[in-house]
Amino acid sequence: MESQIELVYEDIRGHGHAKLIKFIGDLDATNVETVLEKVCNLFNDGIYTIIADFKKLRYVNSTGLGILLHFSKSAREKGGCFKIANINENVYEIIEIIGATSLLEIYDELSEAIAALE
Amino acid sequence: MIIETKEVAALPNTIIVQLSGELDFECITQISDLFIQIEKSDKNFAIVDLTAVSLISSAVLGELMGGRKRLIEKGGDLVLAGLKMDIRTKLGLMGATKIFRIFSDIRSALNSYKWENGSHPEQVKISFPSNLNIVPPVRQLVSRITKQKGYGNRDSFRIETIVDEVCNNAVEHGKQGDDQRINLQLQIDPDKVEIDVVNTSDPDKVESLKTLLHPHEIGEIKAEEKRGRGLALIKMLSDELSVNCSESGTSVHVKKKREE
Repeated sequence: MESQIELVYEDIRGHGHAKLIKFIGDLDATNVETVLEKVCNLFNDGIYTIIADFKKLRYVNSTGLGILLHFSKSAREKGGCFKIANINENVYEIIEIIGATSLLEIYDELSEAIAALE
Repeated sequence: MIIETKEVAALPNTIIVQLSGELDFECITQISDLFIQIEKSDKNFAIVDLTAVSLISSAVLGELMGGRKRLIEKGGDLVLAGLKMDIRTKLGLMGATKIFRIFSDIRSALNSYKWENGSHPEQVKISFPSNLNIVPPVRQLVSRITKQKGYGNRDSFRIETIVDEVCNNAVEHGKQGDDQRINLQLQIDPDKVEIDVVNTSDPDKVESLKTLLHPHEIGEIKAEEKRGRGLALIKMLSDELSVNCSESGTSVHVKKKREE
């Protein structure tokens, strides 16, 4: 059985070609493929500007972090971005230990990530 | 407010303080006097039972913090037990849940204290099918066990991550299937956790295992690589890591010292 993760999509006012995705649950080796497919579907629909809200993302492991880096790289290659906001301190520590903070666009608050789209 | 105190027969340095009713400003003198008495006694570990408390003011919380500080100076502690959800939420908003150790009930607090002050480590053995989908409940169980043993959220999260990464590697680089087993053993001491994981080797995966064991430098991280950071993460989170490959299987040993 996969770990529980739910992706909730919301529009971002004033940014018609952008999406806010709320990650809720644990992101690990058992559900990365599901998450990969869902986010790639957005790319396929022409949405390359994504803000990921990690307020309710409890856990991420190295495999989960791998696809976050993939999303960031893919979005940039298509002229968009994959910004992350509201990371809890445990998850942030994992990203920091792996040395990925410089490869990801990370913001403390959701409002800061949205403002950076301007 | 009503205050009752109880001694614990097997733990002469421990006192249980049962508070009930509304802990408002008027209670401060009574609580303050009680902690002065405790401080002067041979007690240095207090369990404050808040099961029957319906309201707690910030002033009373301040008194409890003061009492805790004095008991810590005597080599002990003051912990809270039996908080109702609304009281716990209020304490969380006031930042007190980061200061006090909180237990679901008196028995849990006593067990934790006895374990932390005993000399015998606890050992847990878990054998599970070599299947990635089984790893999340195993790692979450380990996290709950370490929390129960008094480890903080941060340490427990790190231990959960280590167990997750080691077990995922054990499954991915060994024989898989419900008839193949991954054996996980934890030795939990008050100051460290030792983790041992053994899988059954798969001759077809020897090359991938060699790649895995090739030294990983954190500086080499590349955005295009989706996988292969697990071992680096384990190394960074742990204090000791050793991997032993044999024809029968690969065993991984990790030591993680308690930090909080």
